[in-house]
Amino acid sequence: MVTPSAHIILANLLFAAVRSGTIILYPTIGEIFAERAGIMNVGIEGMMLIGAFFGFVVAYLTKNPYLGFIAGTLAGGLASLIHAFISITLQGNQVVSGLALTIFGGGITNFYGQHFANYQLKTSLKYFAIPWLSKIPIIGKALFNQDVLVYLSYILVIVMWLILYKTKVGIHLRAVGDNAQAANAMGVNVYATRYFWTFFGGLLAGAGGAYLTIGYAPFWLDAMTAGRGWIAVALVIFAMWDPLNAIIGAYLFGSLDALQFQLQAAGTTIPTSLLTMQPYLLTLIVIILATVIVRVRHIGVPKELGIPFSNEEK
Amino acid sequence: MLRFEKRENVSLKLKILVPIISVLAGLIIGAIAILFAKINPLIAYKSIIIGAFGSKYTFTETLVFATPLILLSVGLILAFKMNFWNIGAYGQFIIGAIFSSYFALFGPPNLPRFLMLTIMALAGLAGGAIWALIPAVLKAYWAVNEVISTLLLNYVALNILKYFMYGPWRDPIGHGFPLSKTFALNAQLPKIIPNSRTNLGLVFGIIAAFIVLFIIKKTKFGYRISVIGGNPNAARYAGINVARNIIIAMLISGALAGLAGMVQISGVIHLLQIDINPYYGYTAIIVAWLSYLNPVVAIFVSILFGALTAGGFQIQMTMQVPFGIISVIESAILFVLIGSGILMHYRISFVKRRA
Repeated sequence: MVTPSAHIILANLLFAAVRSGTIILYPTIGEIFAERAGIMNVGIEGMMLIGAFFGFVVAYLTKNPYLGFIAGTLAGGLASLIHAFISITLQGNQVVSGLALTIFGGGITNFYGQHFANYQLKTSLKYFAIPWLSKIPIIGKALFNQDVLVYLSYILVIVMWLILYKTKVGIHLRAVGDNAQAANAMGVNVYATRYFWTFFGGLLAGAGGAYLTIGYAPFWLDAMTAGRGWIAVALVIFAMWDPLNAIIGAYLFGSLDALQFQLQAAGTTIPTSLLTMQPYLLTLIVIILATVIVRVRHIGVPKELGIPFSNEEK
Repeated sequence: MLRFEKRENVSLKLKILVPIISVLAGLIIGAIAILFAKINPLIAYKSIIIGAFGSKYTFTETLVFATPLILLSVGLILAFKMNFWNIGAYGQFIIGAIFSSYFALFGPPNLPRFLMLTIMALAGLAGGAIWALIPAVLKAYWAVNEVISTLLLNYVALNILKYFMYGPWRDPIGHGFPLSKTFALNAQLPKIIPNSRTNLGLVFGIIAAFIVLFIIKKTKFGYRISVIGGNPNAARYAGINVARNIIIAMLISGALAGLAGMVQISGVIHLLQIDINPYYGYTAIIVAWLSYLNPVVAIFVSILFGALTAGGFQIQMTMQVPFGIISVIESAILFVLIGSGILMHYRISFVKRRA
C-alpha cells in the first residue's frame, strides 16, 4: 500500500528524473545521427559546455530563456563544424579531434565563464500541464507537467525515429554510415550528408547543454556538465543507434541522478562521493551489456563508423 | 575546391614543420581568444614566457609540471601504438596516487626513506595498472569501447578520491579542508635541484621513456603492438594473441600513469588532495600525438607543455587570466596537428570545381 506521501515523493523523483534525463537525451539523439552517418564525435562534453555557457549568457542578458536555448543550440552546432572539417574534409582521426573539442569546450568556457561564475538566471521556464494526461498518477506530473523544451524533446525523438526508418533521408543517411562508397555510387553526396548530421549532432549537444543551464540548474558553474557528454556518447551504444531506445537510457540516467540528489537532500549518511559515482558506474555496466548484445545480435552498429571517406581513386 | 594527391613518402622536413606550425597556430588562436577578453595577448604571452623560463626557479617549475606529463605521455604512447584509446590516464594517475598514499599515511613511520619510496612507487605502479586492467579486459574479451570505459572510470576514480578526502583520510586538524596529513620526510621523493620542487620523478620519467622506446623498437612485444595497432585482424591471422597483448600493454600504460600519480604527491605536494590536477591526463594525450608517439621526443614536448602550464599558472596569478586559456591553446594545437595529418599523405592543391 503506497502512502500518499510516498506517492508524492515518487512523483517528484520521476519529475526530476525526466528533467535530468532531458539534458542527456538531446545530445544522445544528435550523436546517434552523426554516428549513423559514420562520424564519431566524442567531443559532446565540450559542445555541451559551450551550449550551456552561451545559452546561459544569452538567457541572462536578454532575460529570455528561449532565446538562450536557441543561442546555446547554435553555439554547439558551430563548435561541431570544427570536428566536421577535420574529420570529413581533412580525414583526420575522429577520436583525437573529438577529444580536442572536449578540451577546447572546457577551456573556452572556463576562460570566458569566470566573469559569470555563480550568476543566477532570473527568468525560468514555465511549466505547462497537458490536460488529462498530467493527471495520470505518479507519471503524469513527470511526463506531462513539464516545460516546452521537454515536450520538444519528445517530438524530436518521434520525428527523428520516423526520419531514420521511414524516409529517403534516413535511407541515405544509413547508407552513408554503412558503406560510403556504395552510397556515393547511388548518387548520395557523402560529404554533405556527413557535414549535415555532424552539425545536427552539435546542435543537439548544444541544446542539451543549454537545457542544463536554462531549465535544470539556472546558474553558470565551470565544467558543470560533469561528464554528461561522455554519458551521452555511451548511451548511443546502449540505445543501439535507435532514437527510441535513447529515451530509456537518458531517463535511466536521469532517475539515478535525481535519486542521488534526493538522498543527499534528505540528509543520508551515505557519503556524497559514493552517490555521485553511481551514474558513471551504472553507465559503464550498461555499456558492457549493450556491447555484448550488439555483438551477439549484429544490430545497429554503423559499419563504417569513424572511417573517413575520400572519393579520389585509391 | 581542394584536390588531394597521394604522397609516396613523407619528408623529414614536413614531419618537423607540421608540429611547429601546429604550435604556432595554437598560439595565434589563443591570442585571438585573449583579444576577445580585452587583454593584450602580447603581454599575456610575455608573462607566460617569463613564468616558464624567466629565472632559474621558474625553469625548475617548468620541469616540475613536465615530470608527470612525461610519465603519462610515455605510457599513453604504448597504448596509442596499439590503437587502444586510453583516455583514462587521469583515473589511473589518481588510483596510483591513492595506493601510494596509503603507505605514506599508514605505513611504519620509521621505515628507511629508500624502502618507503620503493614501496610507494610499487604501489603507484600497481594502482595505475589495476585501474587500466579493467578497460583492457573489457576491450580484449568483450570489445567494449575503451574511449568510453576509460573515461567513465576517470569519474569513478575521482569520486573514490573524494570519498577518502572527505572521509577516512581527511586530516583531522586540517580545518575541514579535503586534504590528508602531510607525508613524513621518508615518504617524500628527494629533490634533484636544490631550492626547487624538481624531484627524482623527472629521472623516473626519462628512464621510462627510454625503456618504452626500447620496448617499441627492439622487442617482439613492441612489434606485436604495432601490428595490432595497424590491423587487429591481420595480427590474429599472424597468430598474435591480441587479447593478451592488449592487456600487457595497458598494464604498463596504466602503471606509468599510476607512477606519475605517486611522483606528484610524493615529489611535489607531499600530501593527498582532491585537486591533483585533472589537466595532466588530457594534456598528456596531446603530448603523445605531438611527439609522433616517440617516447624520447615526448620528453621534450612535455617540457614545452610544462612551460605552458607553468606560464598559465603565472598569468592566472598575476593577470587574473583564467587557466582555461591554456586548454584553448592546447586544443587548437591538437586540431591543427590532426588536421594537417593529411599533408603527410596527400599533396593538396586548389583546383577549380569540376563539373
